[in-house]
Amino acid sequence: MKIALIAPVSGPMARQGDLMRKGAELAIEDINAAGGIKALGGAKLLLMVEDAGDKVETAKNAAQRLVANRAGVVAGTGAWSSSLTLAVTEVTERAELPWLTLSYADQITSRGFKYVVQTVPVASQLALSSMPTVLDMAQAASGKRPTKVAIISDSTAASQAFVTPLRDGGFQKLGVTVVSDDVFTPPLTDATAMIQKLRATRPDFLLFYSTSFPDAKLVLNKMNEFGLGKGKLPAVTVGVQLASPEILKAVGPELLEGLVVVAPNWPSKAQEAALPGLTRRSGEPWLGQDTISTYGDVWLIKDALERAGSTDGAKLMAALRATNRSDGPADYYLGDRLAFDHNGRRVGGAVGLVQWQAGLPYLIWPKEDAVRTPLWPKS
Amino acid sequence: MPFYPSGLEAFFQAVATGLLVGATYGLMCVALGLIFGIMRLINFAQGDFLMLGMYFALAIMSGLGLASLLGSLPALVLAAVAAVPIFFAVGWLMHRLLLGRIGRDRPDMTEGEMHQTQLIMTLGISLVLSNGGLMAFGSTPVSLNTPMASQALVLDAFGGDMMVFLNEARILAAVAALAACGGLYALLHRTDLGKKLRAAADNPLAAIYMGVDVARCHRVTFGLGFGLTALAGAMVASYYPFQPYVGLDFVIVMYAGVVLGGLGSIMGSFWGGLVIGLVQQLSTLVLPMQLQSTTVFVVFLLILLIRPQGLFGRSVERA
Repeated sequence: MKIALIAPVSGPMARQGDLMRKGAELAIEDINAAGGIKALGGAKLLLMVEDAGDKVETAKNAAQRLVANRAGVVAGTGAWSSSLTLAVTEVTERAELPWLTLSYADQITSRGFKYVVQTVPVASQLALSSMPTVLDMAQAASGKRPTKVAIISDSTAASQAFVTPLRDGGFQKLGVTVVSDDVFTPPLTDATAMIQKLRATRPDFLLFYSTSFPDAKLVLNKMNEFGLGKGKLPAVTVGVQLASPEILKAVGPELLEGLVVVAPNWPSKAQEAALPGLTRRSGEPWLGQDTISTYGDVWLIKDALERAGSTDGAKLMAALRATNRSDGPADYYLGDRLAFDHNGRRVGGAVGLVQWQAGLPYLIWPKEDAVRTPLWPKS
Repeated sequence: MPFYPSGLEAFFQAVATGLLVGATYGLMCVALGLIFGIMRLINFAQGDFLMLGMYFALAIMSGLGLASLLGSLPALVLAAVAAVPIFFAVGWLMHRLLLGRIGRDRPDMTEGEMHQTQLIMTLGISLVLSNGGLMAFGSTPVSLNTPMASQALVLDAFGGDMMVFLNEARILAAVAALAACGGLYALLHRTDLGKKLRAAADNPLAAIYMGVDVARCHRVTFGLGFGLTALAGAMVASYYPFQPYVGLDFVIVMYAGVVLGGLGSIMGSFWGGLVIGLVQQLSTLVLPMQLQSTTVFVVFLLILLIRPQGLFGRSVERA
């Protein structure tokens, strides 16, 4: 019985694909070691990996290869970036192959597809629920709710999709005034002008969204240069690539200290016992969203197979969509409950906040899942 | 609505940053202007030369561990100084083995044929270098992580009311750029070699009649252009993260600076680069950040409309 993973294992996104592959391999090892799929006579799982590459065309080809050789494949997960997942699910939907994804574009589950579920909150939920979460966290940590924000974002579609609803009334509804709002076109050559505005406007925190980490480094360097770094002006950013070992190597622990990263999923207190073993076996310094979500996806497929008692695509998908758990596979995702609505969107999910503290990124929010206390300046 | 701080502090900060950024652009432009001015060679690989200088600095500082052994400042200075002769030699060889075979050393080719083949060959070199870099170094951006990149010299005029921050890595890069450009000026105007290089630029045929080895002059010029670009790369790497395609971020600025300064005017290229740095920074005082690069090209187009030969170019000399 095979579980498919379509992920970029070559090209510029190969690192993310590798992290997903590690998550899937670890889960399959653990499931097989625990006796496989009991409802199906202890059937063992095998992993089948297809390379999504870095383009929509290569991802679609990978899905077509998978479907053409799908003997034994019961379900799959992938393909990291939303644009790749959109292409992959066009193919898996036609093949009636149950598909899970950690990609969070709304479009993935707004096309009326029946064979896909998103295991993390979608982008629109992420944008609108992340800022109240940040404000709650800041209030809990400092005793004072922030009222002034500065925004720095790049001009890419992902950044603007996140920032625009907040800029256009989202912050106002939360009682937060936008005191400075800069959009830059990547690659950024110099961040002086934007950071000087932070000095002049004195916001309570900075919302910073950069899809490229060279640009993020320039901004963090400049914040430090202007005496606003290392958490003095709290900075909140989006995207787990800013909580990766690569950014630590490129930027260094001092500049990252205090940086808060909005993450759709991250290792939490629920995995406290299993995490050290998983981390050691993965060979990574720490596990992030890509690995833990894929690990959870395979466990979720296992859980659905047990409940369906069948490898039939329709029955398995019905079991996946009927998932309503607060334990078992739910432990690998944030939020109080793992369930899906009629579109396959996550219900009961929560936005995670990860903060760099002493050179490591820890989950600091939601409070019940957090492994560290948030750091936020008192005044 | 975006908020833009006004006042003297923002203005002085923009001028100071513009001068520092512009000086480094100036060195890049001078290196490109040198190759174009003397050899009339359109070099598409200039951005990739910059990238090689960056990875060279990384190899010296992190690869050989000199940053932890000597400290990041001495290691960076060593990398920058070593980059010039090493990449001069690489450039010299590249010209000898590749470009010299299709450049002015080939009297059987017309001017148009030479330009076409040179254009294609430099494009080919660029592709080989950037893709070779991708294979050798990977696509993940890297940086030198020098403390200077996030530290500033603060000019505090009124007890904290008006502060201007001068980034230490950019100060060092600007000083290196000024020193290199000063050295190049002295070489061109105070030495016999410089006289030959200028003669080869002004009238290659007459220079040959006067006993100047024009082919050798071109090899030296290409080597110098490569060496100075690598020096700029090493300095920029101290504050700017990079990957094998980083040259694309700078190559447009280089060409804009050279054309702005005046095609053929080597030292004019420096002023072209400086103007671009200033325009980039000053534009942020009145326009959104998103238009920062666009502003550079608007000014560039205006100067070409008003003064097509550039700020320091000579419009009739080569007609």
